[in-house]
Amino acid sequence: MDFGLSDEQRQIREEVRRFAENEIEPVAQEYDVEETFPHDVHEKAAEMGLTGPYIPIEYGGAGYSILDTTLIVEELFAVDPGIALSISASSFGCEAIMEFGTEDQKERFLEPVALGEKISGAAISEPDTGSDVSSVSTTAEKDGDEWVVNGTKMWITNGTVGDFFVVLCKTNPDAEGRYNGFSQIIVESDRDGFSAEKITGKLGIRASDTAELVFDDVRVPEENLVGTRDAAFLQQMQFFDQTRTAVAAQGVGIAKGACEAALEYAQDREQFGKPISEFQAIQHKLADMHTRTEAARMLTYKSAWKVDQGEDITQLASMAKEYASRVAVDVADEAVQIHGGAGYVNDFPVERFYRDAKITQIYEGTTEIQKNIIARELLGKGL
Amino acid sequence: MMKVLVTVKEVATVEDEFEIEGTAIDERYLGADLNEWDDYAIEEAVQIAEAIGEDEVDVVTVTIGPEDCEQTIRQALAKGADRAIRVWDDTLEDADLLDVGAKTAILEAVVEDEDPDLVLSGVQSGDDSFMATGVSLADAVDFQWAAVVNSLDLDVEGDTASVRRELEGGVEELTDVSLPAVLTIQTGINEPRYASLRGIRMAQRKELTVQRLADLGLDSSVVEGDLRLTGMSVPESESDATVFAGGPEETASELAAILREKGVGQ
Ligand SMILES: Cc1cc2nc3c(=O)[nH]c(=O)nc-3n(C[C@H](O)[C@H](O)[C@H](O)COP(=O)(O)OP(=O)(O)OC[C@H]3O[C@@H](n4cnc5c(N)ncnc54)[C@H](O)[C@@H]3O)c2cc1C
Repeated sequence: MDFGLSDEQRQIREEVRRFAENEIEPVAQEYDVEETFPHDVHEKAAEMGLTGPYIPIEYGGAGYSILDTTLIVEELFAVDPGIALSISASSFGCEAIMEFGTEDQKERFLEPVALGEKISGAAISEPDTGSDVSSVSTTAEKDGDEWVVNGTKMWITNGTVGDFFVVLCKTNPDAEGRYNGFSQIIVESDRDGFSAEKITGKLGIRASDTAELVFDDVRVPEENLVGTRDAAFLQQMQFFDQTRTAVAAQGVGIAKGACEAALEYAQDREQFGKPISEFQAIQHKLADMHTRTEAARMLTYKSAWKVDQGEDITQLASMAKEYASRVAVDVADEAVQIHGGAGYVNDFPVERFYRDAKITQIYEGTTEIQKNIIARELLGKGL
Repeated sequence: MMKVLVTVKEVATVEDEFEIEGTAIDERYLGADLNEWDDYAIEEAVQIAEAIGEDEVDVVTVTIGPEDCEQTIRQALAKGADRAIRVWDDTLEDADLLDVGAKTAILEAVVEDEDPDLVLSGVQSGDDSFMATGVSLADAVDFQWAAVVNSLDLDVEGDTASVRRELEGGVEELTDVSLPAVLTIQTGINEPRYASLRGIRMAQRKELTVQRLADLGLDSSVVEGDLRLTGMSVPESESDATVFAGGPEETASELAAILREKGVGQ
């Protein structure tokens, strides 16, 4: 067993942190308040290769492992989750193209994303389809050599800034079994009949773009089908280990940022003639926050490492996602508490962490769904 | 093939509050980082290589330091340097203080081995702040030199570096230096890049050779200097803050008057 990071991994972590502190921190509050996508930061991040680090070198990426990517996500989220998501999710959906796409699709879609010229998204959720993914009602019908897509997707990250989306569609309404008859189809945002409307007023990660997408007879060529027709559900499930581990990493990052901010503030702030870090009540909070963050980190790194070993880790990935997101929410809460009134306004980053943390318990499968999965695996029940 | 040698140092960084133990700062308060000025020197070298053609310019870094500083050296490699040399051995390890003379002798030997067209060093190192190594090296190897360079335009055909350098009191000098030359690079000359993820990946495979004094044809006498560290203390700091009240119209001229009086502006 080896818990150490390699020199290369330590270097990645330090350089990403340097980037985040210099380029993200100074503008974090502004983008949060304005609720706009940080195009300029995304561009700088692309120069450094932070857009799609796991994309193979031959397609313009850095070819990094899931564990390496986890370290990157953690450092970015420790500084500002909204901008961090705008960077780390700029290749959302590309994992499907990487795994199941044709050579032509990889060249056309992966490279521009890795270079920061394009932004992608994954469109699964719908107004009436959230936790129950099998109820997707967006359809794609074959017409000659084209797919015709109709339906509405909801809560889509990068919705109004994305250049293309990997859209989960029902392609065979007559298929037997709840999980059959779906396909993943790439829809470019400049196709006729595509429209996106930004969703504003989010609690947190306000720099990240979220939108409702409407597909009204959108025609795309048949080459835009990713992988096997009608088999998208199985395809999609293969990434849950990876994407849930990524959200766990987001949680660890938020917890780390909140821990650091709280530790610093507790040493600076004085009451009753001494730093508040001298009070045992505060010391215990700090001890608990750091311990739980480290536990979440270990669970997340193990999950990432297992994904890299090619193991199937449904249960472990759900454990990491559920636990790390809960730790993020709890630790951010305690960080605000340690800041007192100063934590209740946006002069300090903990106010943002507190709002931003919550999303990690909702997207990529809610906390309840993760627990259902863990229990299902424990009890040996199938899908 | 043109060769640019960049001197790279890992410097000690210190926290805002620290304790001094004898002639050293307690380890607990120390960190390490790439010397800020060297970051600009590396960037300048890499930009030269990018402008002329990466296959036609060899950017080599040289560092005097223990194995611990290899991570900092890899940072320079990740930013685009082609290979690195690190000089260290037990003699250097045991030396109390490496003064400018010792560093000059070591770097002189490296310059003789490498035969670079251009040597870029930082103006100073953030921890020792001698501000002398680059110029002293130029003297030792008998190269042309320019110190505190904040703009550089290289004419490879003409073997000339046109530089702008900072003098005191806000005065700058434009001058041409013929190659081979040593330039000490000032912060602000460029905007140092972040090491890219690809760069970090490739840096792991770049050559980093370790040389002992003996490999460079030197013996332990190079570390014998006249300089001794006899004490360390926090300088008395006197704060001298002036607060101007009022709108920009009045305060701007008050500020200008003070700056003129202190000799900052012309
Ligand atoms: C900011 C943001 C970004 C997003 N980005 C994307 C994106 O890029 N792409 C995308 O496709 N989607 C995205 N989503 C959607 C997200 O994945 C869904 O919101 C999430 O899956 C939950 O679905 P829902 O909102 O419909 O909640 P519901 O499924 O309606 O759940 C409501 C509540 O019921 C609980 N519940 C539901 N079913 C069960 C059950 N079987 N057992 C126990 N409890 C249950 C849930 O846990 C939850 O507490 C995003 C959402 C947000 C808010």
